[in-house]
Amino acid sequence: MKLLIVEDEKALADSISSYLQQENFVCEIAPSYTRALARIEESDYDCILLDINLQDGNGLELLKTLKSNHKTDGVLIISARNSLEDKVSGLHLGADDYLPKPFHLSELGARVAAIIRRRHSAGSNFIRLEDILVDIQARSVTVKGRSLDLTRKEYQLLLYFAYNKGRVVSKNAIAEHLWGDDTGGADNYDFIYTHIKNLRRKLVEAGAGDYIQSVYGMGYKLMIP
Amino acid sequence: MKLFTRYSRINILASILALLLGSIGYYFMIRGILIHELDDALKVEEAEILSHVQTLDQLPEPSSYRDQQISFAPAATPIRRQFINITRFEHHRHDEWQPYRQLLFPVTVKGRGYTVTVTKSEEETEDLLEWIMLVTAGMILVLLGTLFMANRLLLRRIWQPFYQTLEGLRRFDLSKRESIIHTPTTIEEFRNLQTVVEQMTEKIRKDYEMLRDFTDNASHEMQTPLAIINSKLDLMIQDQQLEEKHHRQLQAMYDAVGRLRTLNQSLLLLTKIENNQFAQAAPVALEVLIEKKLIQLEDPIRVKHLTINADVQPCELRMNAYLTDILLNNLLGNAIRHNCDRGSLDIVLRQEFLQISNTGAPLSFDPATIFDRFTKGGHSEGTGLGLAIVKQICDNYGYVLTYSHKEGLHVLRIQFKSAAVGTGRPSEFRQNAVLGLSHE
Repeated sequence: MKLLIVEDEKALADSISSYLQQENFVCEIAPSYTRALARIEESDYDCILLDINLQDGNGLELLKTLKSNHKTDGVLIISARNSLEDKVSGLHLGADDYLPKPFHLSELGARVAAIIRRRHSAGSNFIRLEDILVDIQARSVTVKGRSLDLTRKEYQLLLYFAYNKGRVVSKNAIAEHLWGDDTGGADNYDFIYTHIKNLRRKLVEAGAGDYIQSVYGMGYKLMIP
Repeated sequence: MKLFTRYSRINILASILALLLGSIGYYFMIRGILIHELDDALKVEEAEILSHVQTLDQLPEPSSYRDQQISFAPAATPIRRQFINITRFEHHRHDEWQPYRQLLFPVTVKGRGYTVTVTKSEEETEDLLEWIMLVTAGMILVLLGTLFMANRLLLRRIWQPFYQTLEGLRRFDLSKRESIIHTPTTIEEFRNLQTVVEQMTEKIRKDYEMLRDFTDNASHEMQTPLAIINSKLDLMIQDQQLEEKHHRQLQAMYDAVGRLRTLNQSLLLLTKIENNQFAQAAPVALEVLIEKKLIQLEDPIRVKHLTINADVQPCELRMNAYLTDILLNNLLGNAIRHNCDRGSLDIVLRQEFLQISNTGAPLSFDPATIFDRFTKGGHSEGTGLGLAIVKQICDNYGYVLTYSHKEGLHVLRIQFKSAAVGTGRPSEFRQNAVLGLSHE
C-alpha cells in the first residue's frame, strides 16, 4: 500500500508516516503544494492525506486536479480549519473523508484503513482477525462461524482495534472515537474499561483468543500472535 | 418629560407672561391717551367760559347735555383748578354707575367768586378701551395657539433625525453587520451627532471584529501544534521500552492536551456561532433528538445510577442540526456530569419550552454568572464554556435561557418563541430508571 502525506508541518508528517509504516504502508511525504502536484502526476497512491492549508496553495485545488485527471486515489482531508464549508466542498470535490486537526494517529489510521478497504478490495466487506470475522456491511461479528452478540460500542471498539492492529491505542483516542468531542474526563476511562472487559469476555467465551491487551492502564492493543 | 413638552411649556409660559405685562401696559397707555384727549376737550370748554366771562363779565348759561354738563356754584374762597374722576349713578342710562371726568376751576364775575364744574362722560372712552382690550385678548389667544402648534409640529420634524439616531442606537447589535440609518439633516448639531455616532459604532465594530478574528486565528493556529504534540504522544506510547512511571506521565500529558483541544474547539465553536456561520436551519424534532441523546449518554447515566424522568411531548423547531446536537449535548451532559450518585434528571419538553432539572451539589459560584465564559465549579474538569455555548445558541435563535435553583434541583429552562411551529400527535414517552442497552 502506498500513501502520500501532503503536509507542510514536518513534525506532524513524520509522526503520521512512522505510525502508518507500522501497518506496512509505504509513506511518501510532500511538504508543499508543488511537490505534491509533481508526486501525484508521477504515480498513483492508495490514499492521499491532504492538508488544505499549504504554504504555496490550497489542498482543494490539488483535489480538483486529481479528479480532473480521473485518478482514483483515495483522499483523506486533514485540516486545521475545522469548517463546515471546507468539509462540504472537500467531500463534494470527491474526497473520501475529512478529519480535523488535532487528531489521534489511531483515528487517522482507522480512517485511512477504512478508505483503503473500500477502494482497494472492492466488494470485500470482511476483516479477518485470526478466528474473528467482522462483517462491516452487516455490522456483525462471528467467531469460528458462530455469530457474536455485541453492543454497538463493543462493535465500534473491535473495529477500531482491528484498524489499528498491533499498535497501542490510547484511552483518550478511544474516548474520542466512541463519544466524539465529548468531555467526559476521567469518567470516560471507566466506561471504556467496562466496554473492553465485556468485549474480551464475549470473545473469549466464544472461543476466540484474548487478543486485546491492556498497556499499563493507559491504552489497549490488539495483538494477533 | 419630553424635550418639546418642556420647551413648549417654558415658551408658552414666557409668552403668556410677556403678553400679560404688555397688555397691562398697553391698557394704561391707551387709557392715558384717551383721558388726555378728554382733558383737552375740557380745557377747550374752560377757555370758552373764561373768554365769555372776560368779555361780558357775566356767567354763561349752565348747560346739561348728555355728554357734557356745565354748572356754576358760588364759592367763598376760590378753589384750586383741578381734574377729577367721579362716578355717578344714572337712572336714565342703564341704571348704572357711570364714570365722568370733571374740570373744576374758579372764576370771578362782578367781584364774586364762583366755582365752575365742567363734566364730561367717560363712557365712550371706556367703550373704546373695552374693544381694544377685547381685540388684544383675542390676538393673544390666537398667538398662543399658533405658538403651541408650531412648536409641536416644528419640533417634531426638526428633532426627527435625533430620534432616528436614538432608535438606531437602541437597535444597534454588534453581531449584526447593519449600520445605523440616518436621515439627512441640515441642522449642524444633529449632523455632528450622526457623524460621532457613526464613527463610534464603526470603531466598536472594528474592535469587536478584531477581537473575534483574534480568537478565531489564535484557536486555529493552536490546532497544528496540538496535533503535533498529540501525534508524538501517540507514537511514544508505542515504545515497548517504556516503564509504568512513564505511562503515568504520558497519561497526564494526554489529558492536558485533551483539555486544551476541547477548550480550543469550544472557543472556535463560540466564535462561529457568534459569526452566524450556522445559518442553515431545518425543522428538527426535539423529542426524537432527546431520546437519541439519552441513549448516547447511557454510559454515564448507568455509572451514576441516575433516574431519568422524561416527560416529553413533540416539539418541532427550525434550527441548525449541528447546533441542536451541541445544545442537547451540553445541557444533558452538564446535568449528568454535575449530578450526584443515584441522583435524578428530569426532562420536560413542551412546544413552548424545554426544562432540564437535576440533583447535585449547590453552585460554588454566583448563579448570575452561570452562563458566563469560564464559569465553573472548582472541582469541574470541564472547560467552563458549555453553558456559554448553550446561551449563545439560544441568543442566536431568540430563545430565553434561565437558571434557577428550586427544592435542591438545578433547573435550566429554555423558553422558545411563543409561536413554536410544533405540530403532530400528542404522544408521550416516559422513561424511568436505567435505559436498557440497545443492540444496533
